[in-house]
Amino acid sequence: MAPPRGQIRPARYLLAFVVILLGIYSLVFFTGDRKPVPELGIDLQGGTRVTLTARTPSGEPPTDESLQQAREIIEQRVNGLGVSGSEVTIDGTNLVITVPGKDGEQAKRLGQTAELNLRKVSQVVPVSALQGNQPGQGNQPGQGDQSGQGDQSGQGADSSGSEEQQSSGTTPQWAAAPAQQPSDQQRPDGQSQSGGGDQQNGDQQDSESQTRAERIQQAKQLRQSEEPAMQRQALLTLDCDAPDPLRGNADPKLPLVTCGDDGQRKYILEPVLIPGTQISDATSSPPGQRKAEWTVNLEFKNQGTKTWADFTSQNVGEQVAFVLDNQVVSAPSINSAIVGGNTSIEGSFNQETANNLANTLKYGALPLAFDQSTAETVSPTLGVASLQAALLAGGIGLILVAVYCLFYYRLLGLLTILSLVLSGAVVYGVLVLFGRWIGFTLDLPGMAGFIIAIGITADSFIVFFERLKDEIREGRTFRSAVPRSWARARRTILSADAVSFLAAGVLYLLAVGQVKGFAFTLGMSTVLDLIVVFLVTHPLVALASRSKFLSRPGLTGLGAVQRMGERARAQRKGVNRQQSASNGTPKEA
Amino acid sequence: MDTTGSNGTAPTAADAGGTEAKRGVLQRLYTGTGAFDIVGKRKYWYVILGALMLVSALFVGIKGFNLSIEFEGGTNISMPAQGASGQITTTEVENSFQEVLGSEPSSVQLVGSGGSQTVQINTEKLSQAELVKVKSALFEDLRPLGTNGQPSADAISDSAVSGTWGSEITQQALIALAVFLVLVTVFLAFYFERWMAVGALVALLHDVLVTAGIYSMVGFQVSPSTVIGLLTILGFSLYDTVVVFDKVKENTSGLLSTTRRTYPEAANLAVNQSLMRSINTSVIALLPVLGLLVVGAGLLGVGVLRDLALVQGVGMLAGVLSSLLLATPLLVDLKMRESKYRAHAEKVAQRRRNRDGEGSTTVNGAGTDADSVESARPARDGTGGAKLAGAGAANAGAGAARPSGKAGRRSSGRKRR
Repeated sequence: MAPPRGQIRPARYLLAFVVILLGIYSLVFFTGDRKPVPELGIDLQGGTRVTLTARTPSGEPPTDESLQQAREIIEQRVNGLGVSGSEVTIDGTNLVITVPGKDGEQAKRLGQTAELNLRKVSQVVPVSALQGNQPGQGNQPGQGDQSGQGDQSGQGADSSGSEEQQSSGTTPQWAAAPAQQPSDQQRPDGQSQSGGGDQQNGDQQDSESQTRAERIQQAKQLRQSEEPAMQRQALLTLDCDAPDPLRGNADPKLPLVTCGDDGQRKYILEPVLIPGTQISDATSSPPGQRKAEWTVNLEFKNQGTKTWADFTSQNVGEQVAFVLDNQVVSAPSINSAIVGGNTSIEGSFNQETANNLANTLKYGALPLAFDQSTAETVSPTLGVASLQAALLAGGIGLILVAVYCLFYYRLLGLLTILSLVLSGAVVYGVLVLFGRWIGFTLDLPGMAGFIIAIGITADSFIVFFERLKDEIREGRTFRSAVPRSWARARRTILSADAVSFLAAGVLYLLAVGQVKGFAFTLGMSTVLDLIVVFLVTHPLVALASRSKFLSRPGLTGLGAVQRMGERARAQRKGVNRQQSASNGTPKEA
Repeated sequence: MDTTGSNGTAPTAADAGGTEAKRGVLQRLYTGTGAFDIVGKRKYWYVILGALMLVSALFVGIKGFNLSIEFEGGTNISMPAQGASGQITTTEVENSFQEVLGSEPSSVQLVGSGGSQTVQINTEKLSQAELVKVKSALFEDLRPLGTNGQPSADAISDSAVSGTWGSEITQQALIALAVFLVLVTVFLAFYFERWMAVGALVALLHDVLVTAGIYSMVGFQVSPSTVIGLLTILGFSLYDTVVVFDKVKENTSGLLSTTRRTYPEAANLAVNQSLMRSINTSVIALLPVLGLLVVGAGLLGVGVLRDLALVQGVGMLAGVLSSLLLATPLLVDLKMRESKYRAHAEKVAQRRRNRDGEGSTTVNGAGTDADSVESARPARDGTGGAKLAGAGAANAGAGAARPSGKAGRRSSGRKRR
């Protein structure tokens, strides 16, 4: 700052601000999806939110690792619902499932089903072999006319009935569909399909759940059929990368055609032999004297032990599959009859994979037990009403603040309003970007946070203006008061905002539930408030103070204090007894 | 505010302008010439606010809170109150609920107003299957209208909460509170000084307690959102206190090297100078909250907006009171326990006595400065001692055409950096 002591060059600051603003909005309009809309939480657009609270037997908080694991498993299940925009996030020791739109009722069951079953393997085929379409792998090329069923999601190619012989390429390609469906793959509804070719639905179909039910029905018909021909058909058309409509809906009494969890193999499985609930414990043990590799040890409950003993004695050499959430997680061969219930599974395990499998077997699906703490479905009606209400509240708040500022500060009030508007513009842009970059969704508490933050933002201006009045009252001119009062106000603004930010930060990091959104927006507003005060408000006031016209008392509302200031000056000139050392006689020009 | 209280004692012959007789308080507020002897009357504030805290504590302890569904556990179903065949009544809802489940819901209410009016049904926790049944029955029987004005099953919202959730959130919130307090204490201790940190924390405690007390007294519903709101009030309350203390710090830097003012006077001056700012801030912060309240409580009648707005509103009021009337006076009392400040105050008094003997009151607005030395001392000039120098308050009793208060203003040491 080259200008005389304490003077600034307002234009520079304003220019910096304009650059920032332009930067933000060019990011908004030229990157990502280019839509200038923030992500809305389900309470503003309708949807389902479920909070699952982890419970450990010991009452200790769960480890991050197990939470993370559980999150991934539940996320897979949620993706199985096929609703775009769904997500599972960790919040403290909770998992929060959010499913936008109207198809989320299912989500209320996801945290609870622990679906592990043992089924005998009747056939296993590597996916690659099927893609090569080599005969003898259990797929029978030929007549299989599956019209109306073979819709592979994501490919968009309607392969129904195509199943021609020319092998490769025309048979469905299993790797084509990304499992985490992006939302651009929505297809018109009504195309129910089967074979796991689960369509990615957006949220616009009306009879969404209808088609879901149909999809499940069709998948059942095809993949749970007892006829070998149909099973082979299913084996062919099954898409291992698509969400599985049968997840959680498979009938245990029927055979099942399904994929391995690595997506590399397909299985034809017999009906459920032992449900996962019969597993009492599973542990992993490190390589020892008898075992050169990591192993997984399994124990069954009474009923299970008996069934297991009978089964293993009759099926030595056969494979048995542990089916988790409809996917085969492990399919070891039976080496010998196991009668005591204590089973060890050997394979090429390392520590991690052994632990994972043991956890999977022990907890059914999830490494933790979860209680459903909250489960809410917000209707789109209510969502829209809430959004409107929040906007209305914000609007009312802003107008009230504007009127008050104008009334009280006149010209300065006008600057306040301008600053607030600009602050709003910055906040909105950042909000959109955060929605894109870190998945921040604006929910109702978040909006409340913004509304509350209006006060904090406006407060910075007030601190500054009140200081200005102090200086003027002391006898300074408006013009010379600006730099001095700014120097003082700046400190106060910084420290007060620091406290405010601290509060928001602590809340954001420590509290759970809806408070996160509130704390986030509050903290964000605080930071952005500083930018606006430094780059806009202060320079503008400085500009106004240099303008003859703008600094007329009538405009600034500083008449009263200016008169006092004049008197103070007059006095100093007059009876000038030695003033105290601390007296700041202004060095005005 | 209570400024009118002190107005009684404030000199009205006041302000230099001479035209201020009528607009005394407002004008003094606006120009920041304050002259409200806040620190001097601190005994009153202690008594009043102390009583408020005590009553609050009693209410919280004895009456407790009206807890929302989140703390009890249960299921809430809500839908628009407009059905295909007009307004839906609570009786209709009860009947249809009864038919499906054979039991009564715990409560059915119409909340909100106009187009946003909804029916709120609270029940024991329902299983997923029961919930689906109830929802479809409600739709069949009452046909609530969706967003597009057509009856829609999707217009019905529900939320189920386990009985432990509310307490879980609250526990987390309390942990956050504790951490926040520790951090803030550290921050304040570094930024200001020990006694300021103490004063700010006491003010904070006051805000939390009084807010809780008011909730308990009035019977407002406490939901997890309320608890959250309470936490953010702390930020606000401190914020307010920080601003006032900033001023105090400024006014009292280098205080001991002069005999211009005692610590209490300097602090009081700071409060006066921040008075308008505090009022302004509070008004401005409250206006958006008011907007939230009107919409949240008036239109929607239920939910996060209302809960947050209510607690913020109550808390902010408490926060302003405490940062002005409690934090600084407390700071003064704590400070005055230190011998050097007491000795200093004595020196100032000594000097003034000397000067009063000479009878010259023209310098430095000393006449005004002196007024608030110690509330215990009767005011010397018979005008009620409420004048506070700093701001160039009228030199009461002078009636002089040339009130000397102005100078006092300039001697406040504000020049220091």
